[in-house]
Amino acid sequence: MYQSIAWYATLFLVFLLALAFAIVYGESRRLREYGPIQEKGYKIRKFYFLGLLAVMGFASAMSLSKLPYHNQHAVAKEHAKVVEVAGLQYAWEFSDENFTVGEEIQFRVTSKDVTHGFGIYNTKLELIAQTQAMPEYTNTLTITFEKPGTYKILCLEYCSVGHHVMMKDIVVKPKGGNDHEL
Amino acid sequence: MNSEARSFNNKGVALALMVTSVVLVLMMIFGVMMLLNQGNMIKISPQFFYKIMTIHGTGMIGIAALGGSAIMWYFLSKHIYLNSKVFFSNLILSLFGVILILTAIFGFNFSDGWTFLFPLPAYSSGLYGKTGALLFLSGMLFLAIGYLIMYFYLAVRLTMEYGGLHKTLGWDYIFGGKKGYGPPPAAVATTMVIITNSIAILAGAYVLVASILNIINPAITIDPMLAKHLTYAFGHIFANCTIYMAVIAVYEILSKSTERPWKSNKAFLVAWNCSTIFTLMIYTHHLLMDFAVPKWMLIVGQVFSYANGLPVMVVTAYGALMIVYRSAIKWDFATSMMFLAMFGWVAGAVPAIIDSTIVVNHVMHNTKWVPGHFHTYMGMGVIAMIFGFMYYFNKTEGAQKQNSYDKLAVFTYFIFFTGLAGSFLYAGKISAPRRWAEHLPQWTASDQVGAICGIFIAGAALVFTTRFIIGLTKVSNNTIAEELKSAS
Repeated sequence: MYQSIAWYATLFLVFLLALAFAIVYGESRRLREYGPIQEKGYKIRKFYFLGLLAVMGFASAMSLSKLPYHNQHAVAKEHAKVVEVAGLQYAWEFSDENFTVGEEIQFRVTSKDVTHGFGIYNTKLELIAQTQAMPEYTNTLTITFEKPGTYKILCLEYCSVGHHVMMKDIVVKPKGGNDHEL
Repeated sequence: MNSEARSFNNKGVALALMVTSVVLVLMMIFGVMMLLNQGNMIKISPQFFYKIMTIHGTGMIGIAALGGSAIMWYFLSKHIYLNSKVFFSNLILSLFGVILILTAIFGFNFSDGWTFLFPLPAYSSGLYGKTGALLFLSGMLFLAIGYLIMYFYLAVRLTMEYGGLHKTLGWDYIFGGKKGYGPPPAAVATTMVIITNSIAILAGAYVLVASILNIINPAITIDPMLAKHLTYAFGHIFANCTIYMAVIAVYEILSKSTERPWKSNKAFLVAWNCSTIFTLMIYTHHLLMDFAVPKWMLIVGQVFSYANGLPVMVVTAYGALMIVYRSAIKWDFATSMMFLAMFGWVAGAVPAIIDSTIVVNHVMHNTKWVPGHFHTYMGMGVIAMIFGFMYYFNKTEGAQKQNSYDKLAVFTYFIFFTGLAGSFLYAGKISAPRRWAEHLPQWTASDQVGAICGIFIAGAALVFTTRFIIGLTKVSNNTIAEELKSAS
């Protein structure tokens, strides 16, 4: 979802920007005194500045309440399954590889050598969550798989010449083990 | 400035621009090779891919800094006296650093990327030998020292001229109630760069030295998280400062071409002071996926990344639009590039700001969205400013005239750069990871579009570079003629 929001928001805003530059370019061959242009320009700029502030404030308010860090420092919830994950050149080690739809999973991610990126891709190969896998540190990523199928774990931080082969498949089973849902 | 000093100054600037333009074309060719490989259009080994990825990143940032510093030096020397020997010393140290880096990559198989995240170089040195990693890190250190010397000298000169860096940043106008206009925009921008980039380079030097010592003696270590903070504080600010140096050309060239003043009024000074603070603060948006970092620090990364867009959007880009509006400007290669570069800068800032939103970063960090936004503001922003300045330099100091090839090359460069940036951003939308030597079939179409666009961009850059180097012969002839005239 956020990928599409980012894509269309960028297209829209860059289009507006291009329009502004095109209009100014179109008007650039005419000549008028600069003083009145500055005076009017500064007045418009106040509203433009306030508008940008409002948009940024709204985006901050909307997005900062949904941070993915909430379980980083919290004690693991009783109902959540804790899975220890370690990245190493060029593989992923899991303490448990049994996953079921609807089950909350807390991936506790670290690294045994260099920094890696722990990226979870869904069955359509869309990135749905990630955190860094760093030596000496543990990052807790909480996720609930909503659909059954084969998910992929891809390395998303450059970790040397085998970076692109650092992939792992995990299978998420349907609730109650109904294979036909696959 | 007397003609001899000016001539020496121009030689330094011309040499830096020549190195910049030639290296730029080479780096573009490496970039195209990477996209061709990701798109399955050619086949190179993963190790070679990561080697050219390392030189592409290092080289592009290096030449953007070199080109930007040439712009900064050239225009600042119009306002205050500068000793060209300092510029040459930076150039020599930079070139020496580049030789070490090239030797590390192509002679000793170093391929750990230009951000060299600790402890990767140490691990790689266990596989490929210590020489490559040590040469690369030392090369980066020489580059850093060169810039630090130059910034220190500039800080001294600006202090002597204006009474202190706080005055060059206009604090007596912002806080002291002084009326009128502050120092020239070139001096204000240079001060911001001196402050932020010196801190960045010191952070980088710390992690570089720590990494070097760790390779020599593994008992000496550094906390990986601290190393990451220092690395991104260095990399982010150093890359950002290339824009803040290059934008001086926009102020000077558009002002001269429109015959309208672009002075440092209060809003301008406030904007540059904000940029100074925000640029230092926002590198943490590179660590948004490091959940172990204190949450407040990551929220600061998001909020101030948004805020850092305001000075450019509200003051610099808006100022460029205002100064051009109904100005009867004569469009030539330089003015077109400056105008389009301001568009490129802001157009790149939009996806960058969106990516600094934590919930978005959670599903887009280290996808090709990231090179998508920085290729936009580096390629269509900084590099366009540098190319525009090259033409301006040859025209002002020599006798270069625009021809139809230039117009075609500008058109080609921007149209295909839009295509390249779009292909990167689209690849990010569909979750294609960055820095992967080989892509899965779902992602290759965007790589192929990017590769084709890249070929045309490199072609346009080759035209710019060739025209610039040919035009330089007239610069030297003019300088000699001026020297003879002043001697007689």
